[in-house]
Amino acid sequence: MSGNINLDFSLLKKLTQAYGPSGNEKEIAGLIMGYSKNHVDNVETDILGNLIIRKKGRGKRIMIAAHMDEVGVIVTHIDNNGYLYFSAVGGLNEAGLLARRVMFSNRCYGVIGRERKESEEEKSKGKYFIDIGVNSEEEARKMVREGDMAILTGEFVENGSHIISKAIDNRLGCFIALEVLKNYQGEDDVFFVFTVQEEVGARGAKTAAFAIEPDLALIIDTTISYDTPKEKYRTSLNNGVAIKVMDRSIIVSPVIKNWMIDIAVKNNIVFQSEIISAGGTDSGPVHLTKGGVPTGGIAVPVRYLHSGSEITTKLDIESAYRLLSELLKNPFAS
Amino acid sequence: MTSLIQGVFNQFPAEISKDFMGNNYVIKKGIKSKQAVMLAAHLDEIGLIVTYFDNLGFVHFSTVGGIDQRTLLNQEVIIHGREDINGVVSLVSREKLTASKKSFLIDDLIIDIGYSQEKTVQLVKPGDVVSIKREPFTMLNQNIAGKALDDRAGITVMAVCLNELCRIDHKHDVIAVATVQEEVGLRGAFTGTDRIKPEIAVAIDVTHAQTLDTKAQVNIQLGKGPVITLGPNIHPRIYSGLQTAAKENRIPYQIQPVAGPTGTDARVIQLSGQGIPTGLVSIPLRYMHTSVETISVLDVVDCGKLLAYYIASLPEDLEELSCF
Repeated sequence: MSGNINLDFSLLKKLTQAYGPSGNEKEIAGLIMGYSKNHVDNVETDILGNLIIRKKGRGKRIMIAAHMDEVGVIVTHIDNNGYLYFSAVGGLNEAGLLARRVMFSNRCYGVIGRERKESEEEKSKGKYFIDIGVNSEEEARKMVREGDMAILTGEFVENGSHIISKAIDNRLGCFIALEVLKNYQGEDDVFFVFTVQEEVGARGAKTAAFAIEPDLALIIDTTISYDTPKEKYRTSLNNGVAIKVMDRSIIVSPVIKNWMIDIAVKNNIVFQSEIISAGGTDSGPVHLTKGGVPTGGIAVPVRYLHSGSEITTKLDIESAYRLLSELLKNPFAS
Repeated sequence: MTSLIQGVFNQFPAEISKDFMGNNYVIKKGIKSKQAVMLAAHLDEIGLIVTYFDNLGFVHFSTVGGIDQRTLLNQEVIIHGREDINGVVSLVSREKLTASKKSFLIDDLIIDIGYSQEKTVQLVKPGDVVSIKREPFTMLNQNIAGKALDDRAGITVMAVCLNELCRIDHKHDVIAVATVQEEVGLRGAFTGTDRIKPEIAVAIDVTHAQTLDTKAQVNIQLGKGPVITLGPNIHPRIYSGLQTAAKENRIPYQIQPVAGPTGTDARVIQLSGQGIPTGLVSIPLRYMHTSVETISVLDVVDCGKLLAYYIASLPEDLEELSCF
């Protein structure tokens, strides 16, 4: 790595630990607004809740997008004993839910439990419930109602070169975008968009891109890291930022992909490719906006995505930061 | 593909242009030139994409679009990397051949290009696209078989149609769009329609033709004429207009009702902007998404003529078509 990068990881800690399941991203937007207000020309929130921060310039309209929301659960039913039943908000990994702690927006905590003596058949149906430590429905209702959302908790830990936390997907993207925003010196008209509801179908990005009509869009998100003991060769931690080639929602134009790779090579930024057949990101709806928007994707590999205990590395974060900064210095021209 | 398209469509008195996503537009002006009729057939074909290499140099891959995975084993393929590289599709494990498995899916398969890992890494990159190596060939009874007839057959239909329209008068501009990325989610048609904002549109694609295993579920037959679709995805007046044009010009045709949205460009064109009256014609095809897709040349020619006669028969003001 060349240059001295001083990323403020205490900001990443604040961002990851805040509460923001899909559709309830206000707390995150507040944090980002507070942090960025001295560095920008204009801040607005649109109808869906996207936070759009603009650095005005005379050049191209460039949209940088990172989603603020995280996966969570939504309460569907409260029983007589005060147990809460729920559905997933976004692609939760159900197998990892048992005994996890959850947190509601009012800081009411609970534990995910299930019946001890359940037949195998019942287990597959995922009969989990949330126990918030009350004795009756009445007591439960003082804290939680149907429709309230909770997130999986997961402390922020810096483990040497690695970081473990909940919601690295995608507060890490917000963090990188914020750090780039803070240091941006260019002449282009840059819109940093912190989008809502990505985990439930990339909804915020769709309306934001429609309003902005960018000449170029760069989406920053996280991606699956495949380097668990038995699986190797594909995207893995410590191999640098992943440049998006394909996911279920986009096939990145070869022109954009090659522009990104060239910039990475020129600046000695370690990178790998992101090619996944499942999962979409904000890049999907953004590149299909109106007559089409040239769109690229930057992703940081993360292990155990959507689990509440996500792992990433500082090397990959730094290479993503550097790539996004360099891309903005040499924006793609069609 | 783009240069091929230009080669085919350059012979007509038409303007050709291209957008960022790769859609190609061929614009043939009408006599009045007031309103536009969009034709759409997709350029892309189903294929494979390189995901990673193992330490023996074998290439692992995933799919682009809904390729028929059962037919991949032992195929010859071309990896479109720094240069075109020949390979064969083989099995991860020969043991599986003896297991009770009837067919092999993507995770069981690898591409062997005959190189060590060091050499493979130099030549191939994750993200390189792979196509099946296959030349088309002619069969009896004016049938042909080959890869990618879904939807190069549709592109050919547009060429036949424009050729006919050089001989007969048509009032409106015709914009034939060769769309991209249909197989992965109708993406090119989505943005392309927004760019040209046509008055009406007709998509051209392929549809399953009867084979032994389709039983009673498919009634469409190879060589019995183009297929006109009807259903909620299709504007009823375009459907009836196409049918009338076929009858008046003695072109054989078949009817296919589709209850939901069709799996074609027509699906996104209909919902573009404030909504666009959309029709769909299809070429009957056997063995879809394999490298031996089979069609009848007669159906292609008839379909092109049908579209040309339909376009020539359109009223001076297309707005009346938008009412039910």
